[in-house]
Amino acid sequence: MVALAPFAHASPPQSVAADSIVGEGADGEERFVVVLTGNTITITGKEIANGVIVIADGKVRNVGRNLEYPKNAKVIDARDRTVMPGLISAHSRYGLGRYNRSGVRGHLSAAGEFFPRDAQRSDLLDAGYTALAIAPAGTGIPGRAVVVRTAGEPATRTLLSPAYLKVSWETPVLRAALEKAKKEIEKIEKARKAFEEKQKKAKKPPKAAKKPGKKPTSQPTTTTAPASQPAFKPPAINKPYQPLVDLIQKKEGLFALIEVRRAADVLHMADVLDEYEIAHAFLLRNRTQTDFYRVVETLGERKARVVLWPHLHRIPYSTERIHVVRALSRAGCEVSAIPASDSAQEHRRILERLAGLVRDGWSREAALQSVTLHPARLLGLEERLGSIEKGKDADLIFLDRDPLDPLARVREVMIAGEIVHEADLRE
Amino acid sequence: MSRAFRVITGLGYVSERGGFAGWCVAPRRRAIVALFACLLIPRLQAQTSRPVESTAATTTTTTTTSAPADREPDRYLAVINGRVHTVTGPVLEGATVLSKNGRIVAMGGGVQLPAECEVVDARGMYVYPGLVAVRTTGIHDTKNPDDASDVYGLSMNLALAGGITSGLAGKHAVKMTFGSVDDIVLRRDVFTTLSYSSRKPLERAQVRADFERVRNYLRDLRRHELEKLRNKEAKPPDKKWLKGKYEKYRKLMQHETVATASANTMHPLLDLSELSRQFGFELVIRGAYEGWLVADELARANVRVILNTRRVVDPNERLNRPTGATIENARILHEHGVRIAIIPASTSITLWGGAGRDLLHLNMEAAFAVRGGLSDEDALKAITIDAARILGIDDRVGSLEIGKDADIIIADGDVLHYMTLVHYSIVNGRVAYEKAKDTLFAHIRPEGKPAVPDFDDIWPRRLEWPDESKK
Repeated sequence: MVALAPFAHASPPQSVAADSIVGEGADGEERFVVVLTGNTITITGKEIANGVIVIADGKVRNVGRNLEYPKNAKVIDARDRTVMPGLISAHSRYGLGRYNRSGVRGHLSAAGEFFPRDAQRSDLLDAGYTALAIAPAGTGIPGRAVVVRTAGEPATRTLLSPAYLKVSWETPVLRAALEKAKKEIEKIEKARKAFEEKQKKAKKPPKAAKKPGKKPTSQPTTTTAPASQPAFKPPAINKPYQPLVDLIQKKEGLFALIEVRRAADVLHMADVLDEYEIAHAFLLRNRTQTDFYRVVETLGERKARVVLWPHLHRIPYSTERIHVVRALSRAGCEVSAIPASDSAQEHRRILERLAGLVRDGWSREAALQSVTLHPARLLGLEERLGSIEKGKDADLIFLDRDPLDPLARVREVMIAGEIVHEADLRE
Repeated sequence: MSRAFRVITGLGYVSERGGFAGWCVAPRRRAIVALFACLLIPRLQAQTSRPVESTAATTTTTTTTSAPADREPDRYLAVINGRVHTVTGPVLEGATVLSKNGRIVAMGGGVQLPAECEVVDARGMYVYPGLVAVRTTGIHDTKNPDDASDVYGLSMNLALAGGITSGLAGKHAVKMTFGSVDDIVLRRDVFTTLSYSSRKPLERAQVRADFERVRNYLRDLRRHELEKLRNKEAKPPDKKWLKGKYEKYRKLMQHETVATASANTMHPLLDLSELSRQFGFELVIRGAYEGWLVADELARANVRVILNTRRVVDPNERLNRPTGATIENARILHEHGVRIAIIPASTSITLWGGAGRDLLHLNMEAAFAVRGGLSDEDALKAITIDAARILGIDDRVGSLEIGKDADIIIADGDVLHYMTLVHYSIVNGRVAYEKAKDTLFAHIRPEGKPAVPDFDDIWPRRLEWPDESKK
């Protein structure tokens, strides 16, 4: 490990007791990093003043006050910093081009297109983002997203691939696609039935069990399966519809992120989603004026997971402001906040935006969770990201003030226990 | 919420004069009304429950009913104390209109309300069926009205503010279900468009020839059916060719659909009605500003007309006959027995340009027909029941009748008056527009009282001034 001395007034570590360390013994194999913090915002628990975060092998081993750690641990003195988990964006096209894609393309993924240059990545790190969900572009069903870290070892940079299925604001397309996916499932069921019946028939006269019949064109696996027990090989599913089939069959971890532009589309989409009982979250594409305030109750009743741009919205055709984000939060929605656009500037302003909404009555906890815990949970990565807890990844950001202070600046970024970025303040 | 629209929940309607004698209609109609009401009253007597009084501003009570847990509780909505224009029946003064799950179940005086019932008090107001626009643009998604319409859109909001609750969007008859995506579509593929232009004589001849071919086929088909009685192995006529335009014409001739065509001047009107008579299909003509010249022909061919009462076309002096448009068009057509529907020049809700010619002013368009001599009742019919009949949705909307959809508007005056504002629009038994709660017109005459004397007295057709002694 490279010895980093990121802070000007590094002081000697406090106490060292090799035999009573937290976690496993100090074998010398484990690389301990200890962060002494001014304030630790754990997100899930209380904020800890003058705390200690013990990190081993890129994971948080323990967090608390006056913790003991091994002698050979590398100590980072961040007692003038506020430490919180790295920010997560649940939907981004950062650094990627636009393209028009329409129709059902569930077989495609954004994994093939994430090649941001280092300069771009450093902008993200500068803003405090440690993980992004990169979604494919286009309308209809453009494909699957991929969740990546903004820095770190290339091998561990991909957190989840493929992630959610993106559905972009066309209800008729989704309805038609689900209908087709349902037919695909029926096709498989029919083939299975035909196969089983054939098996039954074949068993009675033992001679005839030669050819496991399949109506579709798929090749019978004559080489491996014994003649007595040929395995059922389902007919191939139309590839773009595979994720939709998985959604209907309630595959673990998969959900659809439904991008909507108008309040009415929430109702239309909900109609279809309920019919097929699809796991989903809504991406509310809100502009400065929005009619999403009309569906706050609907979304709250559904306990919907919502991704949106944190902003104090204006009611269309009026000058009235309405705090849609707070209303959604209070109604019971799990709100994840994303920047207004994919520019570096907007990423840098995200904490400011949250602070503005907190000033107008949103709760501090909900605001901080909306960029950490909630997106982590939405993406199915709450075991690894979203808070400072035992066992989670040590993806942390160090701020010189409270994150909701308008003067706050991200000064250092840690990914998997290593400082990967330091702010260039040009002083 | 102003006092005039105070909501009394669960309180059964009790007439001030006792019993159900609260109406006030023309003497010649009174007998009819009484008979009507007597027939209606016993309907709900059975499910009478003890009224629950509440002065809460919210419109629903939370009293529990003994509805089964697995089923959604019945949704009741009542409009009470209003002057109810049923359009197809009499005007009921101070009557109640009760709807259950979006359908009207009782109407008249002395209707007992169920315990859990949303109540809209229309005291001093006029209650009408929702207006029907025979063409709308930009309110619904024309391709997928039930899956992609903006049910929170400004256009739909404004249409409801103008009293329109249903209309034709593209090919489909739809409802303005603001805030709800249930039951948007009333009827799909209402019309078949027919192109029969006098500027394309060859195309015209082709249309006639195609109709002829289909007619011959249908004749053969009937003959075949008779022959089959004698000879079971009789061959049916070949119908491989019966697709595309031929199938379209077959559907028209067998009355499966209705044709629509645009025509304005005399000869195209005559040609179209002749075609319709010759081949026996139902036809709706749009435009028809010279319809007044050939009203008898149109009536004989049973052609319906969708017209714009404010069309101004100067006479063509090169023609040695009466030409051009007249404000009397609607009256003349109606007097000859032609079914008419009225639609403004612009069928969208426009937010620019000169106000008053768009869908927001459908009622004013009908009022212009009154200026041309049509009676109030018939002008109202032209934007309600007759429009619904032309779209083939009169089994559900267009008038207030038991069994029809609860699409009701409540206005602070006669709907044909220029001062009148709609205060409530109810679609499928849900309040879809409420003036007092909306940002658009809430500030205009919040009391709901037009600043003019009683409307009946000053309507331009009756030229005497209001009776001052009444005050």
